[in-house]
Amino acid sequence: MTFKVIVCIKQVPDTNDIRWTKNNTIQREGLDSIINPYDLSAVQLAKNIKFLNEDTEISVVTMGPMQAQDILKQAIAMGCDKAFLLSDKRFSGADTLATAYTLSQFVKSIIPDFNLIICGQQAVDGDTAQTPSSLAEKLGIEQLTNVIALKSFNKDNSVWIKNTCDYMQEVRLPHPALIAASANNTEILPDIKGYMKAQNTVINVLDADDINANEQCIGLKGSPTQVKNAYRPHIERNTELIENASLEDYTHFIINEINKCKANND
Amino acid sequence: MTRNVLIYIELNNKKPAKVSLEIISHALKNFADTNINGVIACDENTMSEAVNELKNIGLHKLYILKDNLFDIHNTCVYSRVLERFIKENKPDILLMGATCDGRDLAPRLASKLNIGLTADCTDLQIDENGHLLATRPTYGGKMMATIISKTLPNFATVRSGAFKLNIQKSSQEAEIIEITPDITGLCSLMEIVYSENKPPVEDWTCAEIIIAGGLGLKTKENFDLIYKLAEYLDAKPAASRAAVEQGWAPQSIQVGQTGSSVSPKLYIAFGISGAMQHMVGITNADKIIAINTDTSAPIMKSADIALAADAAAVLNSLLKTCTK
Repeated sequence: MTFKVIVCIKQVPDTNDIRWTKNNTIQREGLDSIINPYDLSAVQLAKNIKFLNEDTEISVVTMGPMQAQDILKQAIAMGCDKAFLLSDKRFSGADTLATAYTLSQFVKSIIPDFNLIICGQQAVDGDTAQTPSSLAEKLGIEQLTNVIALKSFNKDNSVWIKNTCDYMQEVRLPHPALIAASANNTEILPDIKGYMKAQNTVINVLDADDINANEQCIGLKGSPTQVKNAYRPHIERNTELIENASLEDYTHFIINEINKCKANND
Repeated sequence: MTRNVLIYIELNNKKPAKVSLEIISHALKNFADTNINGVIACDENTMSEAVNELKNIGLHKLYILKDNLFDIHNTCVYSRVLERFIKENKPDILLMGATCDGRDLAPRLASKLNIGLTADCTDLQIDENGHLLATRPTYGGKMMATIISKTLPNFATVRSGAFKLNIQKSSQEAEIIEITPDITGLCSLMEIVYSENKPPVEDWTCAEIIIAGGLGLKTKENFDLIYKLAEYLDAKPAASRAAVEQGWAPQSIQVGQTGSSVSPKLYIAFGISGAMQHMVGITNADKIIAINTDTSAPIMKSADIALAADAAAVLNSLLKTCTK
């Protein structure tokens, strides 16, 4: 039996290259879109499984506009086998709950006999880290987050290394389960075979009806959270600028401030 | 109408997590017309110590979900127990710390309850209708978004260090309500093969004085003086993301959106340009002094005092003067 892995990826703006409009909104035109860096480590973990178990099929899925086909092609070039794009106007405006529901409907409708789902822990645009746990709940499977590596694998279960700020664990998880990968510095270089495969792979585009989604649970309608106000942060203080002083004066000024601070504490 | 706020208080080594106490501090100070209640999940051994810490700090009620299953965090188990508790208890607002375990648990719980969740907030307010306004940085700290939720309870996790810790003993004791949840059928298939706790990192984020360095220090040797000066002044050292990326300092002392939020009385920034992702980590500093040759650097317009000078030279001079 083929071992079926689903990798969920997201197209994100390159947050290192954000420009602002005059109205203090983010300028979306001309903004480079990339695969969310955390998702690359999800792809890598899936490839590690395939390395250990040749009879593995990696399906990659994303939700987004038709342009998101680009990152799916990239994922194919990196070694994934099948690609699915969930694209429908009705999906737009989804928060993490609606996104998790949509992904869960895709899994239930298209690959119900999956063995493992691997996600990037969070996306660099929102940084919420909510979708993986929320998706695991919608599918009724166990989740393991903060995963940095695969330790061992057999078809029934796998052992993963979980690394959090407080502890490091090796955890055995029976399949099916969901893994969230927390490394964001993985690099996967596609090879020429991968590129050729990407060119020849058909991307399956699915809408809400294809995945039997309830319209009340998707997109803006299915999203309980709404952005009330978005703004460019202002860190406002009345700044006193001191220029052209001697090194000695600067030094004594700072020492004086430190002493004032310490005196206040006593 | 008085709103009920429920704070899930995470326990580490039988003690409430710092971020949980920060949330309680903020809620007691800022949420008008509310009852601030807490809930903990613990085993028999942990209970009395945790209750002692929490019973007279201003909480209205303290719920204790007690079972020996709760000796170690497990999201599958905790989320099911909390789901039932929340459905019975019906709080208006639900808050928890955005710790590693909290960020694992909260979305699972929200998904179970089919409610909205706002992650990693740095500010929380309640509007005139009693709804939670949850503000969080997004796009790598380049933008702030205030999020509201249509569902109850309004649910948010809070970033560690975002609020000032200010726990005061209260003469009024919380009403303690012990609950033994029905755990029939609750088990996790997960097997922990090996576990190792990391040595507790000294919490430097609530230091009174923080001495921070950035790329403007130019070399690792200059950055090392940050440690020396901090040690001499009984302050804590910190670094900008750029300095960490250069390998001058470990990520554990990074300040900003992808590092820690700090709230010192005095923050002295040597050669830090003050990109937004850095500044969001120091909004709670009482006083910020910036030293930078480039007067057009953002920090020189958002510090309290901006000294137009070479950061490395001033740092050297300070160290010499102090240690003389």
